[in-house]
Amino acid sequence: MRKRIIIRTTLIVVLILIGIFLYTVGKEHKVLIDNRDISVGDITYSADTTYKVWVDNQEIGVIEKGGKKMARVKGISHKIVVEEIKDNVLTGEEYEKRFKLKTNESATVNLPAMINDKNEWIDKIN
Amino acid sequence: MMKKQSLTKTMNPGVHFLINNAVPIIFIILVAFAIPITGLSGKYFIRELTTRISRNSFLILALLIPIMAGMGMNFGIVLGAMAGQIGLIFITDWRIIGLPAMLLAMLISTPIAILLGYFAGIVLNRAKGREMVTGFMLAFFMNGIYQLVVLYGMGNIIPISNSSILLPRGYGIRNAISLVSIRQVLDKFIPLKIGGILIPVGTLLVIATLCIFIVWFKKTKLGQDMRTVGQDNDVARTSGINVERTRILSIVISTVLACYGQIIFLQNIGNMNTYGGHRQVGVFAIAALLVGGATVAKANISNVFIGVILFHTMFVVSPRAGKELMGQAQLGEYFRVFVSYGVIAFSLALYAWRKRIEKENKRKKAMALKRGILVK
Amino acid sequence: MNEKVENIIENVGLPRIIIFFFLVSLFALAPIVGVSFETSINDVIVRFAMNGILVLSLVSMVKSGCGLNFGLQLGIIAGLLGAVISIEMQLRGFAGFFTAIGIAIFIAVILGFFYGVLLNKIKGDEMVVATYVGFSSVSLMSIFWLILPFKSPNMIWAYGGLGLRTTISNEGYWLHILTNFFQIKIGSHINIPTGTILFFALLCLLVWAFFRTKIGTAMTAVGSNPEYARSCGVKVNKTRVISVILSTVLSAIGIIVYQESFGFIQLYMAPLYMAFPAIAALLLGGASVGKASIKNVIIGTFLFQGILTMTPSILNNIIQSDMSEAIRMIVSNGMIVYALTRVVRVR
Repeated sequence: MRKRIIIRTTLIVVLILIGIFLYTVGKEHKVLIDNRDISVGDITYSADTTYKVWVDNQEIGVIEKGGKKMARVKGISHKIVVEEIKDNVLTGEEYEKRFKLKTNESATVNLPAMINDKNEWIDKIN
Repeated sequence: MMKKQSLTKTMNPGVHFLINNAVPIIFIILVAFAIPITGLSGKYFIRELTTRISRNSFLILALLIPIMAGMGMNFGIVLGAMAGQIGLIFITDWRIIGLPAMLLAMLISTPIAILLGYFAGIVLNRAKGREMVTGFMLAFFMNGIYQLVVLYGMGNIIPISNSSILLPRGYGIRNAISLVSIRQVLDKFIPLKIGGILIPVGTLLVIATLCIFIVWFKKTKLGQDMRTVGQDNDVARTSGINVERTRILSIVISTVLACYGQIIFLQNIGNMNTYGGHRQVGVFAIAALLVGGATVAKANISNVFIGVILFHTMFVVSPRAGKELMGQAQLGEYFRVFVSYGVIAFSLALYAWRKRIEKENKRKKAMALKRGILVK
Repeated sequence: MNEKVENIIENVGLPRIIIFFFLVSLFALAPIVGVSFETSINDVIVRFAMNGILVLSLVSMVKSGCGLNFGLQLGIIAGLLGAVISIEMQLRGFAGFFTAIGIAIFIAVILGFFYGVLLNKIKGDEMVVATYVGFSSVSLMSIFWLILPFKSPNMIWAYGGLGLRTTISNEGYWLHILTNFFQIKIGSHINIPTGTILFFALLCLLVWAFFRTKIGTAMTAVGSNPEYARSCGVKVNKTRVISVILSTVLSAIGIIVYQESFGFIQLYMAPLYMAFPAIAALLLGGASVGKASIKNVIIGTFLFQGILTMTPSILNNIIQSDMSEAIRMIVSNGMIVYALTRVVRVR
């Protein structure tokens, strides 16, 4: 009798853990990618280039200066890759950043800050 | 006094075969006539059928276990479908996407399905001999409760944060929910394309697993118990089997399987009709199984697949045939519904009639034995 | 004193008593929540008269042992055909009404005959097969509504589509023909549909008288003990078919009376589930799968329609939302499930 209770409780606990895992791995997050001027401290980084953006190997599109696009991603770890476009042609200049999102977080990525490798390139909101 | 021989015995085996498999044979003839009328291409059929087989087979397979346990056609699979839909509502609310979403939906709707199946099992046990009618009415009753929960409870007592699935008035789920978040996740899990047709390998693997599970289950002690219960309650009871519990278990398993089946079905379609999606599940699944040659007392896996192919071919063919014949696709749709219900009516009537004849023959034989006319 | 109460409870049945008090409390609540008492009573009486005959039609089949008539739709289809043909013939008033009934009876007898023969072949499993025979016939008729050559402009689509309209109004033909017959007005809100009630009462009387005739008593015997009936020389099968025909005919008349009050003839898939409210009402009145009487019909229809009318209107005023459909499904189907799970007690 006791053995049965132990087995059943363990089973339920395992199922709950699996549930939590699935929830975290499958949760959808919104990542806003913004290509506009940003001030860090005293210096202002201006957005003057157009970029093509990929998030988690999915193409999000082309963002011109001043523009923004929304990416919907799933799970915890993410990767954003950005390639410069000058005169309507990909230049090959790539920038890549990785970030993690907790369960209820969404984020805004600022492209100029990211290009210049500033810590403020990503802003996470709960 | 001449002894009347058993009805089935005097017939030659050819006729015997025809009567036993009347339903699928009639269906094959119907479909054979209708296909050329529609003028649809073979490729279209193959594509449609692949989709439909992968979409519906799980649900139909869920019907097999209660038949084994003598419960007849389990209309309670509708309850399982409802549980699955509730699970899907939650994962849409929580904005989970992809395969994890589908699995999570299955996980959270399982306890609901178990509960509903347990309730259904208890009710059906109290209506022995009338399981099918009771199951049928129970499904309608539960639909009312489902509506209370989903149309009034959700957004009210049950917190829903995703307002896009709520009705404008603030509570109650919308009539149609987009399931694009999990659209075809299982189908495309292992992508395979043959000649331009997507083969849903993931889903087919799952179906195959269920088939293997069913075969294995029949060999387990519980499975054997169910078969005994299905054949003869009294014999089972004297063997020490808890008949009531076994019957309830068969319904619970069936309900849970139906829950998963409905989730698989909906992930293929990509959107959910909140209030109507589950209603025809019972009728179509049972009709398909019957078309595959199953009866109320006997059904196996081949019935499932033959049935799903035949039934869904008819399904695809009817609106087009209706349009070609009479210029009205609507006619084909009514025809489709008529055939679904008609197949069940015909199969049930045929089965009931045969059951009676056999009972009569047994009785006559027993009487003749008693009177010493028939020498054993 | 306690024993007497216990006896009453056992005879009437606890659920019915609960529902009766529930209904009374609903009526008491009505003025408090702002629902007009008189309108409610009026609604209940009207719906009682409208639905009564359909419930009445179930009795003969229960008595003869065929179970609850889940294939009620066959009779309804006969009634619909009668109504539609009568309007096609442009008959109005009582002429239209009774022609509809006449045609319906004719069709109902034929349909009932075949239905009865079928049921005889599957004794013991009537209810399940009946349900699906009913459903398939409604679907089949839907095809026919599309292709039958009706011409009356009132009934076909205005812009020239194929087939009859889904709902056909009988206004100007025989709408309220019975309702307005000697209508008694009490106060400003209550219009008692005397005609409809009288017609219902007449049919109840006829059925009651029927079961006192030789065939009627034979029918009851067939239902309670077929072997004994056979040994008395009663043709069991023939009697059962007659009970089915009677049921089908009454349900055909019943749907016409319903439409007379409702104002619309509903075709296509509308009749699909119409058997269930009638069966629920009968069961609520105290009948079971094997036993039914006129008393059950009257009490049951009144209670059932009462609940169906009052619960939504009261709840709507309290909770400010329309739950009527969900409640209807729960009450009506719950009753049937409950009755099906009652163990048949052999007296």
